[in-house]
Amino acid sequence: MIWFLRIFEVYKPINMIQVSHLSKSFEKIQAVKDISFSIKKGEIFGLLGPNGAGKSTTINMMSTILKSDEGAIFIDGNDLNENPNACKQLIGVVPQEISLYDDFTAYENLLFWGSLYKIPSKELKERIASILELIGLADRKNDLIKTYSGGMKRRINIASALLHNPKILFMDEPTVGVDPQSRNRIFEIVEALNAEGMTIVYTTHYMEEVERLCNRIAIIDAGQIIAQGTQAQLQKQSDVEEKVEITFEEVSENQLKKLKEELSLEMLHDTQKITIACDVNKDLSNIISICNNNNLKIKDLELKKVNLEAIFLNLTGKQLRD
Amino acid sequence: MIQTILKKDLKLFFSDKKAVLLTFLMPILLIALFAFAFGGTGGNNREAKPITLLVSDIDNSLDSKSVLASLDTLSTIKLIHKDIIEATDLVRKGDYVGVLIFEKGFHDSIANGGKLPLELKYDSAREIEMGMLQSVLMQNLMSSIGEKAVKAKMNTYFETNFSGVPSGIKEKVFSDMDSGDTGMNAMMSNDMALKMTSILKEDKKQGNLGLIQAVAGTAIMMLLFSIAGIGGGLLDEKDAGTLKRLLYSPLKPTDILFGKMGASLVLAILQLVVMFVFAWLAFDLPIFNDIPSLILMILATAFAVSSFGIFLVSIAKSRQQLNGYSTIIIMLMSAIGGSMVPLFIMPAIMQKIAVISVNYWGIQGFFDIFWRNLPLTDILPKMGVLLGIGLGMTLLSVRLFKRNILKMV
Repeated sequence: MIWFLRIFEVYKPINMIQVSHLSKSFEKIQAVKDISFSIKKGEIFGLLGPNGAGKSTTINMMSTILKSDEGAIFIDGNDLNENPNACKQLIGVVPQEISLYDDFTAYENLLFWGSLYKIPSKELKERIASILELIGLADRKNDLIKTYSGGMKRRINIASALLHNPKILFMDEPTVGVDPQSRNRIFEIVEALNAEGMTIVYTTHYMEEVERLCNRIAIIDAGQIIAQGTQAQLQKQSDVEEKVEITFEEVSENQLKKLKEELSLEMLHDTQKITIACDVNKDLSNIISICNNNNLKIKDLELKKVNLEAIFLNLTGKQLRD
Repeated sequence: MIQTILKKDLKLFFSDKKAVLLTFLMPILLIALFAFAFGGTGGNNREAKPITLLVSDIDNSLDSKSVLASLDTLSTIKLIHKDIIEATDLVRKGDYVGVLIFEKGFHDSIANGGKLPLELKYDSAREIEMGMLQSVLMQNLMSSIGEKAVKAKMNTYFETNFSGVPSGIKEKVFSDMDSGDTGMNAMMSNDMALKMTSILKEDKKQGNLGLIQAVAGTAIMMLLFSIAGIGGGLLDEKDAGTLKRLLYSPLKPTDILFGKMGASLVLAILQLVVMFVFAWLAFDLPIFNDIPSLILMILATAFAVSSFGIFLVSIAKSRQQLNGYSTIIIMLMSAIGGSMVPLFIMPAIMQKIAVISVNYWGIQGFFDIFWRNLPLTDILPKMGVLLGIGLGMTLLSVRLFKRNILKMV
């Protein structure tokens, strides 16, 4: 089976990453259970799951520092088990921890991490300069890391993974413990890198980050991928519907009956409030005009759009941050 | 309230196994070690190990054989016969405490009542042993040949100065000597004196024994502590996540270990150089006597010590564990190996155990350079042992590093 996949993947380079039937156990705990997914060139792929779901284990296996018990990983057509060094040149990893030397300056840190990839000195210095511009810390490059704020350290943490110009960037919860402003700055960096064609694998347990950044998402829980696809595809898989919740100032039984007939949509109601399952973008204006035509005065209107939190809850039966 | 705090602190203390170990086991181990080192074990019935003395009997006469036979009966001395050149060389290298030489004419000197051509060449690095040996030798010499030598001397005296003295008077004098109440034995002690010669005092300037012990012993012990600390940086890197990031890069795991070891080696060399230069500037240690030997010895010691430091890091799973292990192991090794107490004052059994310690080989190597003034070829075996220790520790560290540290990343 694996040999077939390997031959197949070699001739299918459009997938930057192909993970097939990957498993990993630590003594009696199975951290990753038979997961498979593929990531196309230029995608931002989100691995979404609660703490302990198996995201970091998966990233560690994809980034060569952890051997899988079973399964295969291909990085841009290279079998990771057979050719880990070629894979290491293709990937950059932004670890969850701020893995920097506190007593070095930002520039010294970048120089050190870049030199591990044997980049010629001149080229490395140019690369450092452009990355410092990208992350907005060029003016602080000679300050010691220990004098940086948490958000600034996170940005240097990202920069350290970019020096060898990798095709793929693994980002393992890159925004943990940063303020909203720094988080936004990190999002902008991710988007800028992606715009340059970099494929990004982004793990997080913050659904809003995945919603903003990721083209496709894999929801991982207890070591298994429960669902994967675009957000719309995940919505379909989860059967979670968008809803409009309208509260009227006054409404009679007749008015409700008439409303139900004219809307031809699934509708729940109590004394003054109705909840309608619909496609908000398509149906909302129609719903409002029918209410107006029936002289129903809207006191409050709430859109219940489908988000990943709801999809995750629907698929796993638990909250994302449990 | 105080009782609650007291109970809480005791509970916390006893829940920390390493703290308990350091508090109770460490002093017990050190007490046992020092008691052993200073000969305080075994109660009053313990028999002292004999001191091995080389003998070179050039005279090979009945008198010299008689003295040797008498010495052989002593439980405190073990004799080994060697020719004078080999014996001198062995003492020079520090393998034996000294050589007792019966020069040609020993028998004749006794017969003529002349000065005895008897010499004890010794390693002055072992002065305490030498003092004990000298006292035993003199006692034995006096009892075995003293009477004969004194009578011969007196006879010669009478013949020279009072040739006409009746034989009855001479017999009376000799009889009084036998009763020991004339003090004549003491009169002769000058001729019976054992000539003592340190065979190490040669053309080159020799270091002060205590200074060499202090510098070499302390330098190696402190080096072990500082290298364990530097190597511990690897565990800090593991905790900080930088070790993980290093593993993401194209580096091999062993590159990381060898890189850390290289840094430890450089710092160890620097530390030793600084210490010896300080000893030269402050205490006039003759570090320029044999520069090639000193450089090679520093390199070999630094390699062994840095490998040992990395080995300690590889067996520990955390910085706290490393601190516990290194304190115990380094203190024990330093005590056994002669960093804390000079080896020559330890019992023979301790001197045998000492060879398991890095400190021993390092200190002895520096003694060879500064005290014994040995040529490089004679010091090479000790350097070889240090390199062997370093190599063994490195191989073990690689295995343990992969097993203990990489799995924890």
